[in-house]
Amino acid sequence: MRLELDRIGHAFLGRAVFEDLSLSLDESEVVALVGPSGCGKTTVLQIAAGLIDQLRGRVRRSYQRHAVVFQEPRLLPWMTARDNIAYGLAASGAGRAARHAVAERRAAEVGLHPRDLDKYPAELSGGMRQRVAVARALAVDPEVVFFDEPFTAVDVGLRRVLQDLVIEATARDGFSALFVTHDLSEAIRVANRVVVLSGRQEGILAERRLEGPPGSRDDRAVFELVQDWMQDPAFADLFDGGREAA
Amino acid sequence: MRHGLAFLGWAGRYVWSGWAGAAGLFCIAAAWQAGHEAYGSFILPSPLETVREMAKLAGDAAFRHAALETAERAAAGFALSVLIGTAAGIAAGYSFAAMRLMRPIITVILGVPPIAWIVLALIWFGASGGTAIMTVVVASLPISFAGGLEGVATRDRALDAMARSFGAGSWMRLRTVTAPHLVSYLFPAWITTAGSAWKVTVMAELLSNAGGLGGDLASARALFDIPRVTAIVLVVVAFAIFTEYVLIQPLRDRLEQWRQAGLPWGVKR
Repeated sequence: MRLELDRIGHAFLGRAVFEDLSLSLDESEVVALVGPSGCGKTTVLQIAAGLIDQLRGRVRRSYQRHAVVFQEPRLLPWMTARDNIAYGLAASGAGRAARHAVAERRAAEVGLHPRDLDKYPAELSGGMRQRVAVARALAVDPEVVFFDEPFTAVDVGLRRVLQDLVIEATARDGFSALFVTHDLSEAIRVANRVVVLSGRQEGILAERRLEGPPGSRDDRAVFELVQDWMQDPAFADLFDGGREAA
Repeated sequence: MRHGLAFLGWAGRYVWSGWAGAAGLFCIAAAWQAGHEAYGSFILPSPLETVREMAKLAGDAAFRHAALETAERAAAGFALSVLIGTAAGIAAGYSFAAMRLMRPIITVILGVPPIAWIVLALIWFGASGGTAIMTVVVASLPISFAGGLEGVATRDRALDAMARSFGAGSWMRLRTVTAPHLVSYLFPAWITTAGSAWKVTVMAELLSNAGGLGGDLASARALFDIPRVTAIVLVVVAFAIFTEYVLIQPLRDRLEQWRQAGLPWGVKR
């Protein structure tokens, strides 16, 4: 067990977001956390990553290093792509030469051209910035990676490419991951297990284990599974756009 | 080698951009010349006369000593006000309590007229450099304070959270996340401080009779030596231009090079 959330609860200004939520992450397991907008997915991730403190419950971590890939790339605009990728290593005190060697290797893995490494984020396209953000997370050799809806702002084709990068990286490096998304087909593509969070403060509504490793599902299988789950009442929140208005 | 060439290219561009600044200065000189032709040498000596007087003054050892004295006082006042103001501003930006405590103090300092500080400083320090330095510090400290405070208060919290997620300590976050953002708030404050440091030093010297360029200005006024007065004014302005465009702006340009990276071709300057 890499990470265990034990009956955690959180509230903003007295209004409960979720209560008694328990979730665990096994070694080399990718768990996708899905749910409608505003259900607290990101809050769960931030608590798991230690970015905010939970009000109730406990978080047990049995690993050394983690990394977060945020919804926005969150690159430092005053650093080149190379230094951005190496940021986590700089924070852990690695030497300059070692940092740059790792940055170059990870950049190649996420499909960045060596030429782009000397550019500032303002000179990179949105997709390239998100690739830099993924490379920055992988650069610290994390045991757990938290993905917070990382690919919502890129086009469909690029999203597939970036998902494939994540699938490839999990298979190669063997880290565990918590992947927050509101896109069911994305969850099915990248994860070993899908967990549905309620939009009505009811905690976890459903949990589905997927068969086979993440890379093994083709488009047809993903599509059929989504169609199948759409009929399931546990997933109703995800497809109910009028919920927030009501 | 590559870095050396890039530096040379940058330096060349910076020096070359001086032409535009020179054009602005010559516009002032032209207006000055027109004023001289309308009112005559006694009211307003011509730019050429002034420059000649300046050349004469530059050969005068006593004047060089006075100019050096003023430069030292202005530099000391600038350094102290920038150090204290920036440090206090950064502290106030990070700590809500410190901000609540320091804001009224700054308002009080701003509310007391500089001329009153000169009188007080005269009583405390007498006719010495201390009067000028203290007046500069008190007059320009609030600017750096406001710059530091605003810079820290408007730092990007999302980037800060990113840095924390990688385990960056508070010193590293200050260095890599807050400081580069802070620079764009601090430099305008520092440039204003540098400009007012010169002005206030000369004023304090003149009023406290403490030598320096202000003292020279007082005696030139007593002698009705108008070209000398304009020459001294020109010397002070030259010092101010030197501090801003030779000492501060190049540093800012180097630190903020990343901003230029985002600009598309054609609108670089």
